[in-house]
Amino acid sequence: MSFAVRLLGITKRFGTVTALDRVDLEVEQGAIHALVGENGAGKTTLMRVLYGAIAADEGSMEVEGNTVRFGTSREAIEAGVGMVSQHYGIIPELTCLQNLILGAEGGLVLKNKVAEERAQSLAARMGFTFDWHAEASTLSPAGAQKLEILKLLWRNARIMILDEPTAMLSPADAAALFESLHRLANEGATIILVTHRLPEVLDHCSRVTVLRGGRRIDEKLVVDTNGNELATLIVGEAIVEPDRSQPFEPGTTLLQITGLVVKGDHGEQALKEVNLTLRSGEVLGIAGVDGSGQRELFEAIAGLVQTQHGSMQMLGSDCLSWDAAERIRNGLRLIPEDRHAQGVVEDWSLDENAALGLQRLAPFANKGRVDGKARFEMAEQIADRFKTKRGGLKLPMSSLSGGNQQRFVAARALCLNAKLILAFQPARGLDIKGTQQVYDGIREACRNGSAALVVSFDLDELLEQCDRVVAMNNGKLLEPRAQDSLDRDAIGRLMVGAQ
Amino acid sequence: MLNLLVLTILFSTPLILAAMGGYTSERGGVINIGLEGMMLMAACVGALAAAHYGPVGQMIAGVVAATVLSFVHWLATQVYHIDHVISGMAINAVAAGGTNFLYLKLSDPAHGSGLPHLPISVFCVAGIVVPFLLWFYSRQTRGGLRLMAVGSDPDKARLMGIQPIRVRLFGLLATGILTGIAGVELVAYTGVFTDNMTSGRGYIALAALILGGWRPLPTFMACVVFGFFSALRLQLQGTPLFGAQLPSQLWAALPYLVTIIALAGLLGRNRTPAGLGKP
Repeated sequence: MSFAVRLLGITKRFGTVTALDRVDLEVEQGAIHALVGENGAGKTTLMRVLYGAIAADEGSMEVEGNTVRFGTSREAIEAGVGMVSQHYGIIPELTCLQNLILGAEGGLVLKNKVAEERAQSLAARMGFTFDWHAEASTLSPAGAQKLEILKLLWRNARIMILDEPTAMLSPADAAALFESLHRLANEGATIILVTHRLPEVLDHCSRVTVLRGGRRIDEKLVVDTNGNELATLIVGEAIVEPDRSQPFEPGTTLLQITGLVVKGDHGEQALKEVNLTLRSGEVLGIAGVDGSGQRELFEAIAGLVQTQHGSMQMLGSDCLSWDAAERIRNGLRLIPEDRHAQGVVEDWSLDENAALGLQRLAPFANKGRVDGKARFEMAEQIADRFKTKRGGLKLPMSSLSGGNQQRFVAARALCLNAKLILAFQPARGLDIKGTQQVYDGIREACRNGSAALVVSFDLDELLEQCDRVVAMNNGKLLEPRAQDSLDRDAIGRLMVGAQ
Repeated sequence: MLNLLVLTILFSTPLILAAMGGYTSERGGVINIGLEGMMLMAACVGALAAAHYGPVGQMIAGVVAATVLSFVHWLATQVYHIDHVISGMAINAVAAGGTNFLYLKLSDPAHGSGLPHLPISVFCVAGIVVPFLLWFYSRQTRGGLRLMAVGSDPDKARLMGIQPIRVRLFGLLATGILTGIAGVELVAYTGVFTDNMTSGRGYIALAALILGGWRPLPTFMACVVFGFFSALRLQLQGTPLFGAQLPSQLWAALPYLVTIIALAGLLGRNRTPAGLGKP
């Protein structure tokens, strides 16, 4: 039994926070080894240590039997370690070939002919095809993922770390990815898979290591465990299944979109004749790979972009002429995609952020001024709703971790007479418990007569949390047949444009 | 006509060299509005050195002066993470005030004008060769690829084992050398240093870089167009146009007007290096 990687007693502190606490990880040569845990459990940090992107404070590392100490990623790459990070390392402005060779060009002057030949043979070995001279911005998420794998092969990586590789892929693309990974493992490569999707672990990995709160909790042979046991190990307690027993009758139509067309940044049709009906009580999920038009739909409903054709009724009235403020006055609430850019002002206090977007509504607004006292009370409610961990309401938003900012933003959207909730990845950066709290909050609001539209790139999350899921592909909104409204395969096919 | 051609080349050369200096900096992701100050400092120090050390001394001193400022810009933006625009403005301010002071204190009235200099043709050849060299560099060499990668996304480049801070150091040293040559050419051509003699050429070079979409050859063309309008102004100034005598100020404004019109017309197409200004 030979180990490709042995990490012993790895400890890493960021300031006063201990991100990794004496973590051990042993990975067998030629295995697909899963590393699972909640957000913030330390999975990515541990992998970044192995990849040389950050240095551990304590502990030792062995790669293929040699004791190593990586100061930079370059040294890790030289030792045969490669990593595909969660947000791909593909630079969109460069061509596919340039991306492939970047950092391992082999000489001061580029030999593009030779490089292309080798690239072609690597691609053929994996069964991929690429237009090497096309800009990488033209790649689909699945194409980018494949290029990332070729980048590892280009560098002769024998130990491959993949961080949440299927987060942006449709189910079919994910299946193809795992086929490639099995092929690589059979050829002797060692693969470490960082994931939070337990089915992937159970179907494709041989061993699994569980991290929680920066500690290694357990390591198991996959054949000796099951989904429930792993889930319990991950959160440290049994998970309560979301309560969907409460029956509900869809009520009046709150949002009706007909034939909506919106132009994208480059003049293309980003939304093509989108039709959508949302009734009170409903939580509607929108699945699809990133860039299928979800962003444009979100902006169109929020009143942030000009629409070309089509009509939209909000709460029974035509709303296309309403600006964003008017829509908010009528009960539209947003949980935007990027909380840093769109959700909060980081330099403002939590208190000030509480009124952001809602400043024209009572109780925040009082005779044309913002009522400081009422705002402070609301801020407290908002922060308590999902247990935002905070130092104080007068401290700047930037003092909160990303997950806690997300809790605050989500709670703010639900705090004040929300009629129509528009949520883009509402659980972004949240752990399992936080995700459940936010979705429960949305559900509760809907059961009281509101409706919610939730965009997520995680199909499983939508299937688990929504009443009905539709898919977007290339600007079109596709509805599964009524009996398939929560069918994983049917919606997965729609996501890639197949019927 | 021949006169117009010669003037166009003469006026274009400092713009081209400065714009190429801007290229090696901004392609690597470092915003550089300090081109103006680097040129001005090179012109002043070059002029001071020429009186004592001759034309080669002038060139070396000018290049070193601009490179020092460029190095300071690297230090400020990359090591101390100061905002790129603020650091660039500071460099321009230091150069504007500093050259005035230095020249007042150190210049020798006996060698006020007619300073020795390298043949102007040397600069003109450099102005034509450098853009092609940079074009080759960015497409066909490791350094060029890394410069582009760092300018597009420093974080991802870092993951690929590239050190942006190092790549940018080389980029900014090249900026210093190129703006240095551009500044020295100004004194070489006029034979004398005058206060604020760059008169906005650094900014026009930057405008040319933007117009050229941060690519060497289109940027080169943009510089030539600006040079042409400057030459045209000199040729036509004072001659009546459509029977009317235009004021000389209007002619003087011509190159700047062209800059503004061209920028306004073309700025919509966004080809900015995505990592511009990112740490």
